[in-house]
Amino acid sequence: MSVETETPLLELVGIRAGYGTIDVLHGVDLRVMPGQVYALLGPNGAGKTTTLGVASGQIQPHAGSVLLDGHEVNGVSPDRLARAGVCLIPEGRGIFPNLTVAENLRMSTYAGVSYKQVQERAFAQFPRLEERRNQMAGTLSGGEQQMLAMSRALSTDPAILMLDELSMGLAPIIVEELYEQVSSLAEAGLSILIVEQFAQAVLGVANEAAIMLHGRIQRTGSPEEIAEELTAAYLGMT
Amino acid sequence: MIFGVRHSVVVATLLATLGAVVLAVLTWKGSQVTSESFLVTTYIGLFLGALWAMYATGLVVVYTTTGVFNFAQGAIGVFSAFLYWELHVNRGWHSILALFVVVCLFAPALGVTLDAVIMRRLRTASLVVQLMVTVAIMVLLLSVVGDIWEADTPRRVPYLFGINNGIDLGPSQLPWHRLIVFVVAIAIAVSMRFLLRRTRIGTAMRAVVDNRELAALNGARPNVVSSTSWALGSMLGALGGILIAPELGLDPATLNNVVIIAFAAAAFGALRNLPMAVIGAMLIGLLRAHTGAWLDFGPDFRFAHLAVAPLILLFVVVALPQARLEVGRLAHHLRRHERYTKWWEGLIGCGVVILLAVAFSGGWLDFGIWDPGAWGSRELNSANEAMALALIGLSLVPLIGWAGQINFAPLAFAGFGAFVYLKFAGDSGNGYWILLVGLLCAPLGALVALPAARLRGLYLALMTMAFAQAMSLIFFPHPWVMPIIGTGRQFPHIELFGVTFDDRRGFFLLMVCVFAIFVYGLVLLRRSRYGRRWMAINDSQAAAATLGVPVVWTKVVVYAVSASMAGIAGVFWATVSGNVDSVQGFDLLIGFNIVLLVAAAGVSIPMAGIFLIFIPLFKGFGLRLEDAGNVDFLVTLLDIMTTYGPGLMVLGMVFNPRGAIFEMGRGFSPILPWRRDARAEIAAENAQKREPEIGELGIDRPFTPEEVIAIDRRLGILDEVVPKEGYGTARS
Repeated sequence: MSVETETPLLELVGIRAGYGTIDVLHGVDLRVMPGQVYALLGPNGAGKTTTLGVASGQIQPHAGSVLLDGHEVNGVSPDRLARAGVCLIPEGRGIFPNLTVAENLRMSTYAGVSYKQVQERAFAQFPRLEERRNQMAGTLSGGEQQMLAMSRALSTDPAILMLDELSMGLAPIIVEELYEQVSSLAEAGLSILIVEQFAQAVLGVANEAAIMLHGRIQRTGSPEEIAEELTAAYLGMT
Repeated sequence: MIFGVRHSVVVATLLATLGAVVLAVLTWKGSQVTSESFLVTTYIGLFLGALWAMYATGLVVVYTTTGVFNFAQGAIGVFSAFLYWELHVNRGWHSILALFVVVCLFAPALGVTLDAVIMRRLRTASLVVQLMVTVAIMVLLLSVVGDIWEADTPRRVPYLFGINNGIDLGPSQLPWHRLIVFVVAIAIAVSMRFLLRRTRIGTAMRAVVDNRELAALNGARPNVVSSTSWALGSMLGALGGILIAPELGLDPATLNNVVIIAFAAAAFGALRNLPMAVIGAMLIGLLRAHTGAWLDFGPDFRFAHLAVAPLILLFVVVALPQARLEVGRLAHHLRRHERYTKWWEGLIGCGVVILLAVAFSGGWLDFGIWDPGAWGSRELNSANEAMALALIGLSLVPLIGWAGQINFAPLAFAGFGAFVYLKFAGDSGNGYWILLVGLLCAPLGALVALPAARLRGLYLALMTMAFAQAMSLIFFPHPWVMPIIGTGRQFPHIELFGVTFDDRRGFFLLMVCVFAIFVYGLVLLRRSRYGRRWMAINDSQAAAATLGVPVVWTKVVVYAVSASMAGIAGVFWATVSGNVDSVQGFDLLIGFNIVLLVAAAGVSIPMAGIFLIFIPLFKGFGLRLEDAGNVDFLVTLLDIMTTYGPGLMVLGMVFNPRGAIFEMGRGFSPILPWRRDARAEIAAENAQKREPEIGELGIDRPFTPEEVIAIDRRLGILDEVVPKEGYGTARS
């Protein structure tokens, strides 16, 4: 891939970040090229979610810079980044439990897509949501909640999609269904950064992968290469 | 289930209806019901309902969009009504201009300020702190109103468009003002419903309560959204206050009490459902109007018709199923170590308190101008009031501080105690009856605990508030219960161990002893199995139940303990005044103040009770200083402290939720020679502050200049090398 000539869509350079006085990321460098599906893997506590937090503007890095399409966006608030096309689906059901399904979809109208269109797209992909459009989102099943969360990615035409632990706590068949959506989005040319603890599902979709350990990216490579080293990394042998 | 409604609701509704019918038959006035008088009463009821609906709408909007139940909603209305009076009546501005300035400029500014300064910091606070802070804002706003617009001038807010012009309805006239109020109230409710359900900004307002971070990821600016919510809520409060003021008169307390009716209406809609809240308000309005027109409760129950709202609130809260209220709120647990006070420590502490009190009141310590030896009866009265309040405040420690059961009704229990004492000890003042008071108040506490057993947090606060209000409107004013002012009946001096405590100094010491006994009892209770159980149900009822803690019984016990302490305290509180004004002596607002002060002091620590003595004590000092002359500045300062102290102290909880006593204790305990643990904790904390985390230096990456400085500091090398170019980062 001609990395040098193309501007990365998202680039993290020497990011150090954390919560309070505790540093979680000790210098993370990462680049997602246009149209790339980048899988960031690693065990619990490696700093994957924090990385996404920095990339989406939720966490301000202590050092380093966040570049979006070549522009530095350090210190830009998450809502402005969202409107600029950064779409993060946070881990653990990114939905509003006390709003109805339809109201959750109304929250996705920030990017300029009309409410009607948002609904059309979401219901076309996930017909089950249409049946439950007036139900409180908190009363949906886990899979349906994740579908609702995913529908934001479908309906807002994001520039880059970040998925945090899409498969967490879901039945394998639902994970499969969700990843089908991800790969069709990828085929349509969307750049995607996926964070996962369990790798099988994501490595089939990704075309670039990295292992994160102790707040650093230990290894990057093709999904096949990373798959081989993953077990060793999880057992702490790197 | 009957028609999808739970049995308990059906049974409770039937019982309440039956009770209401029986009550109606018993108290029927006998005046003839004509279609005309019925119609007029109905229209008054609907109008009242509309006024309350406006307040209730404000409450529901603020609650659904900020997650904070705003006790200050009524007080915002009071302040706005006074401001409107100032601009319109006093300064002669045109009513429309004044209305615009207050509702569209002042109120949003107040809302945004409240959000930016206070509410934003409360998001992760515990429910107790949240509630206390809004109550504190209420008390503060009312104090400001009382300070700016002194009560001695009579004021009236005129009706918009006058009361005499209107539509002719045949039997009576419908004034424009009332018609406008009705239309405005309905229009506001409908438009708010539309805003919250059908627009993006309204959806975003509710979304921010659910998940602030996710709302930001959805392109909403959480701070802007929540400021908008507060601005909107306070505009609704302001409008309600201005429109209701012509009907009720410009009296802070009366106007503020409207909010209790609005609470009842809002509770009808489970605090979130606007249409139901409006229907609730209309229902209460109709009930109020019709009970006033057709029923006569007699002179003994002269305030009973006002009790419609608290009774409905009580009924709604207890009978109706609750919607989920708390959205996964994580209470801040800041205390790292919990240490039981040892039995001998408690004994020493209580002994010191008693000795200090004896020395102080005996005038053996020389305080110069503060010398209590020279105190007159006024100052001693203040000190006595203070001690009695402190005793009542202590009753809240196990209930609120340990078991987490919010209770706004300590004075209802105290009043009941005073009543029992009066009935048994009569004129003799035999102090041994106080023990019986303690015994008889326990069942009352248990009675309140039973409905409370299934309530949590906010609903519990509302229920106890309704209970307190109902007691002070129905029970206490009855002449059989308490002597009415002017009848000459007085509370007798207490006689114990053959001593009659008829002089104020002796009585003060008696109360200090009771205080010490209470505190020591609490210290022992905290160490007991019950103390642990109360803390356990506070943390997690479900977890406590799985450990075999009988949750309901544990709650009953804590209510009983608290009620009997409050009851005993009530005897002293009543005796201090000698002549108890049955209604004002056990007023809800005083109860609020007690709860506020204990909360600000740190309600989980028994010694917090001592905080309550400051306000009346300051009052006493103020009087003393005034007598001495030449200290105007101090007098003013003390005055400000007594008026605004409780509210301001509670606002301090926003930054320090553990309370003042806790911080003082942390400062003090390392001095005690046997508290090695306290010294160790302070030392550990300081060490942590001094040393920033250094990380894995030099192992797999080069040192940065900051790290070099950090290492220098740790090694005690003083001449730090600071690069001229500033600190580099890993960026290449």
